Amino acid sequence: MNGRLRDQGPTLLVATLAAAFGVALLQVTGILAAVLAEDDVTGSSGTVRLMLGIVASVFITIAVYVSAVVTANTVATIVAGRTRQIALLRLIGSSARSQRAAIAREGLVIGALGAALGAVVGSASAWVLGEVGVAQGVIPSVERSLLDPVVLLPMGAVVLTTWLAAWTGSRRVLAVRPVQALGNSAEADLDEVSSRVGRTVAAWVFVILGALLLVLGVLVGLVRPEGVLIGLVGGILSFTGIVLAAHRVMPPVLRAVGSLFGGRPAARLAAENAVRHPERSARMTIGIVIGVTLVTTFAVTMESYRTMLTTAFADEPALQSEIGPMVDGTVAVFSALIGFSAVIAAVGLVNTLSISIMQRTRELGLLRALGFDRRQIRAMVLVEAAALTVAATATGLVLGVVYGWAGAQSMLGSVGGAPAIVAPAIPWLIVAIVVVAAALLTLAASVAPMRRAARVSPVVALAVE
Amino acid sequence: MQIQPSDLGLIARVAELGKRYGSGSGSVTALDDVSLGLRRGEFTAIMGPSGSGKSTLMHIMAGLDSPTSGRAWLGDTDITELSDSALTVLRRRRIGFVFQSFNLVPTLDVRGNIMLPFELDGRRPSRDEQEWIDELVETLGLGARLRHRPHELSGGQQQRVAIARALATRPDLVFADEPTGNLDSRTGREVLGLLAAASARYGQSIAMVTHDPIAASHADRILFLADGRIVRDAGRSSAEDISAFMLGMETAA
Ligand SMILES: Nc1ncnc2c1ncn2[C@@H]1O[C@H](COP(=O)(O)OP(=O)(O)OP(=O)(O)O)[C@@H](O)[C@H]1O
Ligand SMILES: [Mg+2]
Repeated sequence: MNGRLRDQGPTLLVATLAAAFGVALLQVTGILAAVLAEDDVTGSSGTVRLMLGIVASVFITIAVYVSAVVTANTVATIVAGRTRQIALLRLIGSSARSQRAAIAREGLVIGALGAALGAVVGSASAWVLGEVGVAQGVIPSVERSLLDPVVLLPMGAVVLTTWLAAWTGSRRVLAVRPVQALGNSAEADLDEVSSRVGRTVAAWVFVILGALLLVLGVLVGLVRPEGVLIGLVGGILSFTGIVLAAHRVMPPVLRAVGSLFGGRPAARLAAENAVRHPERSARMTIGIVIGVTLVTTFAVTMESYRTMLTTAFADEPALQSEIGPMVDGTVAVFSALIGFSAVIAAVGLVNTLSISIMQRTRELGLLRALGFDRRQIRAMVLVEAAALTVAATATGLVLGVVYGWAGAQSMLGSVGGAPAIVAPAIPWLIVAIVVVAAALLTLAASVAPMRRAARVSPVVALAVE
Repeated sequence: MQIQPSDLGLIARVAELGKRYGSGSGSVTALDDVSLGLRRGEFTAIMGPSGSGKSTLMHIMAGLDSPTSGRAWLGDTDITELSDSALTVLRRRRIGFVFQSFNLVPTLDVRGNIMLPFELDGRRPSRDEQEWIDELVETLGLGARLRHRPHELSGGQQQRVAIARALATRPDLVFADEPTGNLDSRTGREVLGLLAAASARYGQSIAMVTHDPIAASHADRILFLADGRIVRDAGRSSAEDISAFMLGMETAA
């Protein structure tokens, strides 16, 4: 069973990243709060500390959530690849429950390990950051212990979610029937398509309700800036709905993107591969969708805000030159914080893609035997990775622009006195960064699998297991 | 002038072929100085005990693996000298495969699987070829199944799709490695009948590895391998004769 834990290396990485992020963020807010308390003239440091805490927990929640999705996906992918082995064990008398429990236990161990590692890494990074800040004279030196019990919160969250995610991801173990050890090898692909009606209904309710609230927010925003609060609730609701329905939303997007790559056999097979497990592709992409959507939403809102301010203060260049860096700084910090979740999602995508390529060794051998050359095999892997990242990025960008505009409109629609339509301003720099990051991710995700896939010899297709 | 394999009516030939796995004391000799020619239009069965080198021989003849010594030709092409990409094109255009299992690409439907060799070649079938494919689909009884994906088909149906794909390009030679190994005996016999008919009716050259004397009795010629050598080269034989010889081989060993 050592093999199992070795498979889980990426899961450990994901848990560690999430925990490190959470711990570092809390440590940094702790340092900031201590600095503020030092010269507390207004007595407002309590409020600021609370605000910082809330903001930090939002980002931590996003990161932990994304890492849980990634972990569940990795486990599900590994389990799918082990169907035969599991079936064989079932055939000789092992119970499905005990096999699933073993996987969940691994999740618990890995979660704990990741949380501990993450705490060390996160605290160390925060400490380094603090020291650099002091050395640069940005913040005064303050006494503060790194052993803040509050970091137990993200650690606990990571342990718990990794455990739960391993449990959820291993659900498929229960569906493996012992005869699958004997069956012939044509794989039933649409294995995981769920007919979980409850989830679909909930998703629809969330999306519709959320969209209505967004519209209401925009309308209210024409007269009062509080419209943005209604819009915020609408945004959270509708986006939750989209995340819930990802297994329905993403496959059509993936198909559309896949068809962009043309009708050559390598491209066509790649496009099919990208949707062969709708649940899996949904989970592979949703983390990136979340990250890109949040970054874009925030950037579009801020950009619209900036455009509005620039127009309003057109004849006060001094003020303008102050606003610019302030907006840029805020966007940069928030993007980096959200971007971290996207990094976790990217780790998941890289990992799932290479596992699923490894699981397709025989199929690759078959293609080689039938006359796919190495270049075509490599192209196929690259296009599959590209289809996944392009679909995720495009979805995120579109959603982000819509949400960002709704946010800007409902917040700023009434600011000029009379109701006004705020034109959505696209922050091209952020969009460019997102696109470049997606391209890099595609390459990163496909390098190793491409190499491995091209090495597969056609003889493996003929070999009987 | 050198005599080419095709001058002798051969579709494939190997000469003094040797294949060795590993080196030193742990090495295994899978093929030991094998020379043979497969005649154009014939259905040849390759038999022999497990581990006798049947699959290895077939892999080398199909350009999937390279020999340690000796040469192999497909038609007049010396395939032991070809680069990987030339071999790829050769497999695409001039060779068909039917494996024991896992023959089909799971993400493609039946039609997509049958058309795959053409698509890989970046072309559409000519009108003549299309008629041939339609005829194959008809004969193999796949007409109603063209839009189905492999996991929706029985093992026998999957194997028929594999045969259609292997014959679609009218390759020089079709290799089949235990094509009936995963099928029940009735379905297996059907599949064999189809292969034999392809050879008899359309002059398709076929080389088939099998353990089954009944399967081999469909062939025009039967080669027996033992310990990496050819020990018998027989014409069409009855299943009883084949069984008797196989039994004799086992007791001799
Ligand atoms: N990749 C390999 N590495 C080492 N030895 C191998 C390898 N492939 C085959 N062999 C050995 O070569 C010999 C011939 O194998 P081959 O697969 O050709 O036998 P076969 O006649 O097809 O047997 P079977 O009827 O069981 O399929 C065997 O002794 C086998 O162990
Ligand atoms: Mg064999």
